[in-house]
Amino acid sequence: MKPLLGTFYILGMLVPGGLGYDRSLAQHRQEVVDETVSPRRSLETYSYNRYHPMEEVYQWMSQIREKYTEVVTQHFLGMTYESRPMYCLKISQPSDNPKKIIWMDCGIHAREWIAPAFCQWFVKEILQNYKDNSRIRRLLKNLDFYVLPVLNIDGYIYTWTTDRLWRKSRSSHNNGTCFGTDLNRNFNASWCSIGASHNCQELTFCGTGPVSEPETKAVSSFIESKKENIVCFLTMHSYGQLILLPYGYTTNKPSNHEELIQVGQKAANALKAKHGTNYRVGSSADILYATSGSSRDWAWDIGIPFSYTFELRDNGTYGFVLPEAQIQATCEEAMEAVLSVLDDVYEKYWHSNSAEKATSTAVVLSLLMSFMSLL
Amino acid sequence: MLWITNIAWKMCRFGELNQNASQEVTLSMVVADPENQINQKKERKVDLVFTTELYNPEEGNKRLGKCSARVFFRNEKPRPAVNVTCAQLIEKKKRHEEDYQLYKRMKQLQNPVDVVSIPDNHGHIDPSLKPIWDLAFLGSSYVMWEKTTQFLHYYMAQLSRVKQWKTNDDAIDFGYTVLLHEFSTQEIIPCHIHLVWYPGKPLKVKYHCQEVQTPEEASGTEEGSAVAPTELSNF
Repeated sequence: MKPLLGTFYILGMLVPGGLGYDRSLAQHRQEVVDETVSPRRSLETYSYNRYHPMEEVYQWMSQIREKYTEVVTQHFLGMTYESRPMYCLKISQPSDNPKKIIWMDCGIHAREWIAPAFCQWFVKEILQNYKDNSRIRRLLKNLDFYVLPVLNIDGYIYTWTTDRLWRKSRSSHNNGTCFGTDLNRNFNASWCSIGASHNCQELTFCGTGPVSEPETKAVSSFIESKKENIVCFLTMHSYGQLILLPYGYTTNKPSNHEELIQVGQKAANALKAKHGTNYRVGSSADILYATSGSSRDWAWDIGIPFSYTFELRDNGTYGFVLPEAQIQATCEEAMEAVLSVLDDVYEKYWHSNSAEKATSTAVVLSLLMSFMSLL
Repeated sequence: MLWITNIAWKMCRFGELNQNASQEVTLSMVVADPENQINQKKERKVDLVFTTELYNPEEGNKRLGKCSARVFFRNEKPRPAVNVTCAQLIEKKKRHEEDYQLYKRMKQLQNPVDVVSIPDNHGHIDPSLKPIWDLAFLGSSYVMWEKTTQFLHYYMAQLSRVKQWKTNDDAIDFGYTVLLHEFSTQEIIPCHIHLVWYPGKPLKVKYHCQEVQTPEEASGTEEGSAVAPTELSNF
């Protein structure tokens, strides 16, 4: 029985994204090979202080997977509109402990380049430090990280080749006369009710229906399949220097609003301590503007308790075109904020030291009592 | 909140501090909660306090003065009224000197300037081109102020083209295309701007923006028309 189960397990790993996907690996492998790829640089010389085109991000993911093979696996989520593969990296310390999941995605809006830069920074920080940094080691004891460095791949490539300020995906509408859906208006959360448009010409076009876009489908399906175990959903954007909680589609507050504010504010404080940058915390409808169909709202609605949108630097001076010289500082401070959230999440779900002591003391006492009663 | 400070920022650059193009404004503090400031006349009032600093990076960030501003929106119309007062400004002579430095740098630039975009797509502005960006920002500030309402907030996303660069009668005269980012619609609006500047004299701005045709967004006010260019010879 056992060897047979083992075989099924291996088969499950080979099938992209697990069972439920009928796309063959062969198709997208072929695509990656056919692309004109720039000379293969080593991971040691990869600069996290520069912006990288998509080919380099794909290469980077492979190299990360190869170098940190004991903790990193790459997972296929689906294909983009223009038939490019969407991969996320899973960082998981093998253990017998039950794990909860942290999800992070970047670059749902094409022009927000600092976001994919942060996802890459985050992965690098975790992997370079998980062995000797006790804070990160602790998190990895019970948490698995899933990181999607670029969600809107087609759009991101378009900002490199054609229009630096493109926002949406590159799906074709109205007989090829209009392009792109705002993927962050396409999720099934009060879809297109407010703060979004049915007009393809507009930048907040919500698509032809909830989850109409392949990119949205890919992410939604993946998260749905794991939602029982996902405790934290983080989606990275720019700009505005904000930490946003649900909701955007209503001014009503989620049931854990107070807690979300507390955790968010603590994260903003940790962020500010790094380089003095101010981030504001609040629900999207309160401090930004009304939006519907956002991934963050959808994530909370399907049961993920800690769901945040981060709007990274800056405040409008450079906006989307944030200088590379600011990548490091932006990522360092955002890292502090994210780690702060993760610490709070960890404390909530696993015993903190004091709770552990109380539990073990109680156990000892009850054992003593039962022993005494035997005398 | 930050978009409101931007308006005052723009007004400072363009209004009372118009004569001092070399100054850059950084927000130090915002006072008063805008939510409480909507009166019966449907005006929305915001009080601001901020500091203005030297833009020249070589000399470091020297504080030039402290300002307060009151911004009025009436009936959701654009062109909010802004009252700005500054105290503790460095003396006028020094401010004029700073402006003249900017002017000199502009004149020294190669003519015509062959530049695709400022900043480049990686956010980098060559130091020699920074004066262009700053002056373009000044002109764009005026345009953004003309278009700003309680609900429409603008930022300068990128300078996409410097079209013409010549100096007439010693004044700096240049045309450029700026891409404005409007926050609530997330739209990018290209505006062609032509400005004429001489230190000590008010900036002259002419502009024409391409508007997205969005009937549901119209706040029913005198916005910059997409059809006829709006001209302003003097501010």
